[in-house]
Amino acid sequence: MEHIDASAVANKDFNPMVWKAIEDGAKEILISNVHSMHYVLAGTDQPVKVTIEDSTGMYTCSYLENAEVRVKGNVGWYAGDNMVSGKLIVEQNTGCNVGTYIAGGDLVVYGSTGTRVGYGMKGGHIIIGGSAERWAGQMAMGGELIVLGSLGLGAGESMYEGKIFTRDPGAAGKLGGNVAYSEITEEEAAELDALFAEYGFDAEGKQFHVIRPVLDAAGKHKYTLFRPILEPEKAAKKRGE
Amino acid sequence: MAKIVNPEKGTWSNQVISEIQYKAENGKYRIRGCGSPRRVPNFDDLMILPGQLTRMPIDTYRESCSTRTVLGPAAENPLVIETPVMIAGMSFGALSKHAKIALAKATSLVGTVISNGEGGCLPEEMENSYRQSIQILASRMGFHKDLLFKADMLEILFGIGAKPGLAGHLMGAKITEEISKIRQIPAGIDLHSHPRSGDSFGADDLVVKIEQLREMLHKNTGGHTPPIFAKIAAARVREDIKIAVKAGFDGIILDGCTAGTGAAPVMAADHLGIPILPAAVQAVRTLEEIGAKDRVSLIVSGGVKDGADLAKALAIGADAIAIGTAAMVAMGCRVCMNCQAGRCAFGIGTQDPELVAKLDIDEAAHKVANYIKAMTEEAVLLAKAAGKTKLQNLEREDLRSLTLESCAMTGIPLAGSDLVFGEGFGFAAGKSL
Repeated sequence: MEHIDASAVANKDFNPMVWKAIEDGAKEILISNVHSMHYVLAGTDQPVKVTIEDSTGMYTCSYLENAEVRVKGNVGWYAGDNMVSGKLIVEQNTGCNVGTYIAGGDLVVYGSTGTRVGYGMKGGHIIIGGSAERWAGQMAMGGELIVLGSLGLGAGESMYEGKIFTRDPGAAGKLGGNVAYSEITEEEAAELDALFAEYGFDAEGKQFHVIRPVLDAAGKHKYTLFRPILEPEKAAKKRGE
Repeated sequence: MAKIVNPEKGTWSNQVISEIQYKAENGKYRIRGCGSPRRVPNFDDLMILPGQLTRMPIDTYRESCSTRTVLGPAAENPLVIETPVMIAGMSFGALSKHAKIALAKATSLVGTVISNGEGGCLPEEMENSYRQSIQILASRMGFHKDLLFKADMLEILFGIGAKPGLAGHLMGAKITEEISKIRQIPAGIDLHSHPRSGDSFGADDLVVKIEQLREMLHKNTGGHTPPIFAKIAAARVREDIKIAVKAGFDGIILDGCTAGTGAAPVMAADHLGIPILPAAVQAVRTLEEIGAKDRVSLIVSGGVKDGADLAKALAIGADAIAIGTAAMVAMGCRVCMNCQAGRCAFGIGTQDPELVAKLDIDEAAHKVANYIKAMTEEAVLLAKAAGKTKLQNLEREDLRSLTLESCAMTGIPLAGSDLVFGEGFGFAAGKSL
């Protein structure tokens, strides 16, 4: 195990230094004193195991590929954005927009996350052990977002594809536009159980419901635009019919 | 009383009546292709001053005038193209596969760059293009990390001139299986893209994001990081450009309000944003004000149609122009403004296999290449007349305004005078009334 003390390293020198260590053959790296630097390990694409002992700033593990990264502290906004594969495991909490545009891999947060987790996600798994704030999974195009704690309002707003798994008892009342609340299938529950076992979460797949995108019969999204009188029943009522 | 025959309807033109009828009938706004037909002040409102006794013209037929253009000079690997005319980002989806390949082939014939547009990059486009620009859009449809490392230029997109503040809009009729695959979205849905990037919500985030992108590009391109451009629609140009430069962009693509698109709400196309003429002037003023003109490139677009527009844009201070609609017209488009329907009879703005087959790729590529070549030569002709041996040497002193409006907007003196009725621009700065 290679050990890097980043206390005297400038932000711009940090990743090249880690990449050099990987190039020199390091397979497991322990990094301490990252002092909330930005884009920590972003763009790393080698099969390496990295543990970060403290917290990181924005864009942690952006565009991550193949690598497995564990952060023992918190991570800032946009962690794991555009991730391609590999793992980002966060032991504490995160800022907002975590897992934005993630295309693959597993992003696991044991604590809670901010707004718009999994924004525009296209693949992979995001597991949030705590709660997720508003607009979780907004405009997702694929992938699976699993939230063990409570969900904020507007969950799944305008998703094209993908799924949000929730066991928040009030989730049905917090949906965004264009999504529906449905039962979990056995296959989906089994898939969740496997993920929970892998990452050590105390939960069962069958406790969950699924938020999925809905398309109307013509395959079109139900976008909520300005619709003051166009609901026929209400209009008829107004006319006294 | 006698009935009034054929009255002058003033505000209530046939077009206005048709728009109202459409809304009354459908309860929604109309979507249209090709951008706005509104007449706005444009490059035609300027004239170029030829050399006479004060300076010598360059011989049109016997002397050379360089058209080579360097974009993003501050980048590790600046983009060098042979003509300052690039092909703007038009998506595979809005355009047919044949049209995209033809445009890419045209860039190889004339030595310029093509932008992929929204929703991924066709492998055939990448193979055939001379230089490839890749857009990073808020929707990130069809986007993949590896595309970044194959690009000769990157564009982070904040807005497009035809519908600034709105996002891409592709009608379900055009989302075929192939499009849905490349964009990674379900087939047949009306596609509404995102207007904001989910991985940078503001100027401060952008600074960090660009540092991160550069670092990753440096590593993966072996120290040949391509220039990163910001594509912005012309709005609050001064402020937007200051923010873009502060964020660390190598260049700006500024898109005026008459830019084209595959589908936009009529109101957005007609009423959002400002024309490229005053926007280009304001952009150059701003870059000069903050001392960034030499290291930050400026590409302007939005209704550029011929060599005169090109020459005038360069004289104002742009480094290049981008063409979209004009390139489509070169391929055969008649600007019927119905791209949104996906029934383009010329095989350009459609996904119907029978219609697409009508567009001969090589013929279309040659037409576009011919058009770019001829347009570049037109600009060269004007530049030589003005006494320049490099197209890039055209300067604002070579221009005069033809109308009070363009004079006031651009700060370029009114023809026949040294007077500016507004904020002066460069050499005329002290002569404002």
